[in-house]
Amino acid sequence: MKLTRRNVAGLAVMAGLAIASSSFSSRLAAADDTIKIGAPFNVTGAQSSVDSPALNGAKLKAKEINDAGGVLGKKIELVIYDTKTDPTVIASTASQLINQDKVPVALGFTDSDAVLALGTIFQTANVPFVTPGATSPKLPEQVGSQMFLACFGDNVQAAAGAEYVLNKLGGKRVYLLRDNTTEYTTLLARYFKEAYEHGGGKIVLADDYKHGDTSFTAQITKLKAFPTKPDVLYVAAQPDDIGVVVKQMRQAGLMQPIVGGDGYDTPLLLSVGGKAANNVYFSTHAFMAEDSTPGIVKFYQAYKAAYNTPPENAFAALGYDTVGLVADAITRAGTTDSAKIRDALAATQGYKGITGSISYSQGSRVPDKTVSIIGVKDDKLFLAAEVTPTWIAKP
Amino acid sequence: MSRKQRFLIVVVGLALPALFSIWAPALMNDYLVRVVTVMCINALLVISMGLANGFTGVFSLGHVGFVAVGAYVSGVLSLSDANKASYLPDLPVWIAAIHLGFLPSTIVAGLVCVVLAFLVGAPLMRLSGHFVSVATLGFLIIVNVVLVNSDAYTRGARTFTGVPLQTTLPWAMAWLLLAVVTLARIIYSPKGRAWRAVREDTIAAQALGIDVLPTRLSAFVIGSFFAGVGGSLYGHYLGSFSPASFYFAYTFSLISMLVIGGMRSLTGAVVGVIVVSLLSELLRNLERGFDFGIVSVPPLYGGSQIVLGVIFILIMIFRPSGVMGDLELSLGRIAALLHRGRKETNT
Amino acid sequence: MSLELYITQQIINAISLGSLYALVAIGLSMIFGILRMTNFAHGDMMMVGAYSTLVLQSLGLDFGWAVVVGIGLGALAGVIVERVAYRPVRGAPEVTLLLTSLAVTYILENLGILIFTSSGRNFPIPDWMNSAFQLFDGQITFTQINLLTVALTAVALGALGWFVTRTDVGLGMRAAAEDMGAAHLVGLDVNRLIVAAFAIASGFAGLAGILWAAQAGVVEPTMGFTPLLKAFVGAIIGGFGSIAGALLGGYLLGALEVLIVAFLPSEVSPYRDAIVFALLIAFLLFRPNGLLKRVQEVKL
Repeated sequence: MKLTRRNVAGLAVMAGLAIASSSFSSRLAAADDTIKIGAPFNVTGAQSSVDSPALNGAKLKAKEINDAGGVLGKKIELVIYDTKTDPTVIASTASQLINQDKVPVALGFTDSDAVLALGTIFQTANVPFVTPGATSPKLPEQVGSQMFLACFGDNVQAAAGAEYVLNKLGGKRVYLLRDNTTEYTTLLARYFKEAYEHGGGKIVLADDYKHGDTSFTAQITKLKAFPTKPDVLYVAAQPDDIGVVVKQMRQAGLMQPIVGGDGYDTPLLLSVGGKAANNVYFSTHAFMAEDSTPGIVKFYQAYKAAYNTPPENAFAALGYDTVGLVADAITRAGTTDSAKIRDALAATQGYKGITGSISYSQGSRVPDKTVSIIGVKDDKLFLAAEVTPTWIAKP
Repeated sequence: MSRKQRFLIVVVGLALPALFSIWAPALMNDYLVRVVTVMCINALLVISMGLANGFTGVFSLGHVGFVAVGAYVSGVLSLSDANKASYLPDLPVWIAAIHLGFLPSTIVAGLVCVVLAFLVGAPLMRLSGHFVSVATLGFLIIVNVVLVNSDAYTRGARTFTGVPLQTTLPWAMAWLLLAVVTLARIIYSPKGRAWRAVREDTIAAQALGIDVLPTRLSAFVIGSFFAGVGGSLYGHYLGSFSPASFYFAYTFSLISMLVIGGMRSLTGAVVGVIVVSLLSELLRNLERGFDFGIVSVPPLYGGSQIVLGVIFILIMIFRPSGVMGDLELSLGRIAALLHRGRKETNT
Repeated sequence: MSLELYITQQIINAISLGSLYALVAIGLSMIFGILRMTNFAHGDMMMVGAYSTLVLQSLGLDFGWAVVVGIGLGALAGVIVERVAYRPVRGAPEVTLLLTSLAVTYILENLGILIFTSSGRNFPIPDWMNSAFQLFDGQITFTQINLLTVALTAVALGALGWFVTRTDVGLGMRAAAEDMGAAHLVGLDVNRLIVAAFAIASGFAGLAGILWAAQAGVVEPTMGFTPLLKAFVGAIIGGFGSIAGALLGGYLLGALEVLIVAFLPSEVSPYRDAIVFALLIAFLLFRPNGLLKRVQEVKL
């Protein structure tokens, strides 16, 4: 077809009609017989190895709830969008969820930058948002009253990591390597430093890298040239970087324990790191194994049956718990009114999830949960410790 | 055509879109209003990019660098004090003290871009052909690196958020109309003819006494002003962004709109925006997978971009001047259409 | 660590990085030399080479053979792109060619994302390649991969040198690069020469992609993008269109990048990329023919 002006105009009109009709029909289909819960997740992009399992866990819980009769007599429906780990797409998706799909509540993401991208939009629209895995404890203050975390804050896991390093690994001198280009890693490194130094440890050298860097020779060379040798290496890293970091450090002859946060809780650690991942420890939300707590074991088997693979990391369990939490709040609120759901969420006391008990005490919107420390030995994960830290840095 | 007729056409031409933008929320659902708003912002950016790229023959790949500067400058200036303290605690005191409304921060963003464009354009506008394209690409990258490393002002590569959501359709449309009227007047004036002379043949233009460097620079600078404005509009539309929001993906998106619509006419730029935007939206919704009767198509994320890329190449091969080519929906053409209509009714 | 050892280690790093940039830059310069075209899609040939090797290995092929076939597939991809996307617009203004290559890279990267998803995949290499050499009590390290990089680059360069001085096709390519019109006049089959140039250039890029992935341990669809830009700067610095220039420029750039990070204060080193591109702009303004070329360009 020749691209004459007439034909182009015709195309434009057709396209416009197509869009109008698709959005119109979705409006028609939005009947009143389901409760819609917004579910934006970074199914593709840098965060996919942690967001995808979280989404799978969420879908599993939604199915379980619906099979058991739903909430307030209706089925819940997760309105799922792939936000591609792109802040622009996240912001547009948020508006779509609020203005077009008109969800009364939403949940999503395991990364703090992603949550920040849509926080303001939900706050301004007075729609509550619960994040399964974005761990910045500053989020509720930064975004506002509509923001809730279903997971512990980075200050808690950093403190747990610091205590483990001091008490169990005997690490008196630590090298701190940080990805200074994402919210999560920047904060984690800061909280670790505060807790570790408060416990009497000394950070002998600190360095930075950029998210997505594939070569760490500069930082490694600088470390090896340093006169004081550290006992432990603490690396605040995102899931798609940690495998490479660990591999290159071991190649350079650095064999000390490498410690970090829940960014390590990804299949990429073992698949990319390989043998280099041995003697690595990280703090996370739960230990996914067939010999863990009864709740986790049941989840493990259900997940495996539904998705043909065991849960990849703790974020799968967090996604599962978050849907349960939101459904519980809707039940307690007795309505799908956003304001009442928000208040019901804020009043949550002792919701028993498989990753721990969730309570929002004294107006805080970050729950107090214990931290699991997982180690890698003989190319396999094992549960090294359960820690409730004694001293926690302020958010 | 008489002055009165011309004036009437221009007024109607401006009033219709303006009224449409105000009534739109009542006529269409919010999602479509948002699509049209983004189209207006993109049209503004594509038109301003077309000044250098289409009308003076200097194909700048760095336009989005100015858009980024505009977004961040206006964003920092319009953050509420509470948000400034929360997200940008290390901001220098004198900047933190400034708090501007939507219009002032947008204008400041545009002016900052003008200054930057002078500094960048003065050396670069001397280059030609792909050299200037590559050099302006370098500018885009440098802007990105600086933004990523200016933690105190921009939060570095982390999400910059809290920007008040003040871009509504009337605002976007108003700026777009202003840009169209201003640029139309410039392009179809002696200055605009100088621009096109420089594009066609720099040596002949010089022989006529047209100084090439200031000519190109003027187009570049004016274009950058509207790039900054567009950046501010986009920033206040998204509310959150990061340096990666204004990098290669966005550059390619705008370039495809310019090229598909036609680099050498204002109408072409607008047509290109409409075609590409509608197509992108449609394809993006299809990406999530759909059921077409008995056929079920699974989610194909990334598919929409591939289709757009292929269309782009097809245009490059079969119609490199774009859909509109050199043609404009000018006043003369409108008059001719009206005249023809009146002649027919008279017989 | 003593200063000499520190410098030696950095030199090793620089040579390793420079080899990769040189491989990519040579391809870019070859294509520009013959077609006067800036091929932004060149970086994606790296991706094709790396992913091909990955897939072939997972299908059971030995690493060595997977590499060889991977390079071949990279070359093939370049030839296909030339035939489908570039030949129809040959002769068009420079800008059109540049834009077409932008579109091609856009398509290829998104195709990669579609097929392989955008998160990184592990790039397995034989265990012996991971072993590191430690000298001076571990203060100097380099791995087999570093050695292999330099060795393979040297082999590739040697082969290229023989090719452009001893074979008809190679000499024809140099003739066409010097003056396309004259090459037509003396009866050279220009189409065949262009295809050969793309095949070699893309094969080199494929090899560079495989080595890059081996060093990083991961492949992802946008992996070729940043190395392409850097190689591009190197090619321009050395003299765009000249193979020797690309070689020189690639190594210079590798050295420059390593130097900036190793010796400048840590406040400045994050601006490494900005410094590199500022250097590019400086060269474009003041020495657009780079360090090695002598032809005068009309600059206005």
